Amino acid sequence: MKILSIELFNFRQFMGKQSFSFEPVGNRNVSMIFAANGVGKTTLLNAFTWSLYGLLSDDVEEKERLITDCAWSQTILGGMIAVYVEVSFEHEGIIFKAKRIAEVAKSSGEQGHLYPKLILSKVTINGQSEVVFAPQQMIETILPQRLSRFFFFNGERIEKLAHGRAYAEVKQDIKILLGLEQVERALVHLPKVDRKLSKELKKHGGSQAAAIQGDIEVKEDHFELLKAQMLEAELSLVEFSEEREVVLERLRQHEGAGPLQTRRDSVAKLLKNEQESLKAQMDQRDYIVATKGFLAFTGNVATRANEIAADLHDKGSLPAPLKREFVDSLLERHKCICGTELTPGLLPYQEVQNWRAKAGLAEVEAAWQRLSGEVGLIHDSRGELKTSLQEKSGAISKAQSRIRELEGEKSELDSKLKDMPMEEVGKLEEKRKDLESRILEVNVKITQVRSKVKANEVELASLRSQLKQAKVGDELAIIASRRMQVVQHVQAALTEILEIRSQEMRKRLDEKVKEVFSEITIKPYIPYLHDDFELGLFAKSPTGQDLPVPKGTGENQILSLSFVAAVSQLAREVQVERQGDDESQEDWGTYPLVMDAAFGSLDLNYQRTVSRALARIAPQMVVLVSRSQGQGQVFSELRPHLASLGIIVSHSTNISQPSESIEINGYNHAYIHTGAEMDWSELVEVKI
Amino acid sequence: MTELNSIRTERSVIEELSPEAKQLLQRVLQIERSKLHLSDDIDSTIDDILNIVKGLVQ
Repeated sequence: MKILSIELFNFRQFMGKQSFSFEPVGNRNVSMIFAANGVGKTTLLNAFTWSLYGLLSDDVEEKERLITDCAWSQTILGGMIAVYVEVSFEHEGIIFKAKRIAEVAKSSGEQGHLYPKLILSKVTINGQSEVVFAPQQMIETILPQRLSRFFFFNGERIEKLAHGRAYAEVKQDIKILLGLEQVERALVHLPKVDRKLSKELKKHGGSQAAAIQGDIEVKEDHFELLKAQMLEAELSLVEFSEEREVVLERLRQHEGAGPLQTRRDSVAKLLKNEQESLKAQMDQRDYIVATKGFLAFTGNVATRANEIAADLHDKGSLPAPLKREFVDSLLERHKCICGTELTPGLLPYQEVQNWRAKAGLAEVEAAWQRLSGEVGLIHDSRGELKTSLQEKSGAISKAQSRIRELEGEKSELDSKLKDMPMEEVGKLEEKRKDLESRILEVNVKITQVRSKVKANEVELASLRSQLKQAKVGDELAIIASRRMQVVQHVQAALTEILEIRSQEMRKRLDEKVKEVFSEITIKPYIPYLHDDFELGLFAKSPTGQDLPVPKGTGENQILSLSFVAAVSQLAREVQVERQGDDESQEDWGTYPLVMDAAFGSLDLNYQRTVSRALARIAPQMVVLVSRSQGQGQVFSELRPHLASLGIIVSHSTNISQPSESIEINGYNHAYIHTGAEMDWSELVEVKI
Repeated sequence: MTELNSIRTERSVIEELSPEAKQLLQRVLQIERSKLHLSDDIDSTIDDILNIVKGLVQ
């Protein structure tokens, strides 16, 4: 999705028709728009989300007043007035125009609720415009609404995205961007295709095949039932978890219970880390036992081997005085070293041959020497095994004792909160405990259903194998059977592909977030994207353990920006990979970043590194800034990447303040125009 | 992640398929991608896939 332009008509303070082009020029992919506070940066950001999704952010006041006040007041009662925003964008080689429009007849002085409609059109190859059906769903597939908050955002509030389970919530939506959604859908449809084909098999395939196919269908139906149960349980888990989070948040905000809850959060985190660390230590201990544990049973093998070697050496057998290879060469040459002819069957030959039995083999000696060396190593390795096992046992018992300590502290905090003399806290605590037990129950159910699914899968596989071997005589049934096999093979392959892609995507996204984050921050923190897409920040402890970092506002902003940039970059990489070598469509997987108050409350140093990193990473960036935020180092960093530059000029009826101008590139431009006839904002393009 | 998946790649999974299955997989993903914006319970997608299977395996 590459944004080409926006056209506003009577949208909030943007009176009449106004437009702005964001089209990247070559490698220059940044559009920068300056505006004074309260003049229209947030409105312009909202114009994008309103046009695409019909949404206005929470910080937009008086949401009903969509039509420019002065345009509304100039309209006569009974007269028609319209408001619209049209965003033009290119996606996968197709140009789309998303126009959300509302027309209303003025019936009173106040604006009422509007009912806008979305018209999505695409430009066909021959240049004609064609209306897209199901427009909202089409936009959802291009950039899902829930993900849009990561691409159209207010820099001052972006850190909120890093709170709670924000990333986990968008896990499903990220699937669309990363090409997983169509695989999931195929896995919904292929069993239905299989079922249709099976009807043909049952009809023409004879009694044995029909009976097996009947059993398969029963199992498949059971599988569907289990899937539905699993989905229900998973939804309950999400619901209970979210409810628990609400309760915990209320406890955190509670004046009396807040400090105890904060401590309980921290204890719970530490407990989780210790439990993970304990598991890791136990796994490492198991690995040592599995790979080196045999050394414990070698006992006195090394000492005994050395004694045997010494004994053989004392007897003169090791090293052997004579090598068998030497004796063999004498017998082959038929001549002894003393010059005697060695003829087979005669006494000299017999005597030399007798020596052969006493001689040593070079190979055996070499092996013996190697063994002697390794016998020494066995002794050392036994020592190392003992030391490493002692270390691991020490670490395990330390972790266990720490876990006991933390569990004790948590339990004490639980009872302190429960016994607090405030009714509200008691109720919240009761609710929390109830939710905890429900979550536990659901988790048990999920485990049970999972094991039933596994058993069902095994039975299905066995039945399918029986079906393959069943006698099918009819030609139509043979074809139906072959078709079913192809469908089942594709289904199995897609199941595996989905697993591979999901794991790969999480891993790659994790790597990208780490890469971007390290480019921006100077702090030694490492972000980590968990399996459930929850994003955390860690620091290495002196003992090498990963400890969670309490995220400050600055860290959260950078973490969120890193996540956004990483998703954007990965989406592009994935799309390009999937499309092969065809480079004709340059916007595959392109997603813009549109940022209001782009650099939030970041200090100057971070503003510079963030702007540098984002301009490099994001395929397209629209930065809405105030004069103070956008000039200086930020402007210097972004200037080489600028494709377009603009100002939202404020026309104000205020006469108590003088007009102001803004200097960009050595030229002065109107910034605030006071003493105007009406209050409105004007979007002006400035020459770079 | 299972050990199996750590060594298996998307490419290796596809390579194990018969030519017919490979074609079907590709076509199915094309269809699903082109209909992502529509709800996933429409019958026409199933019929489209069924027709492709019938065309490929005769």
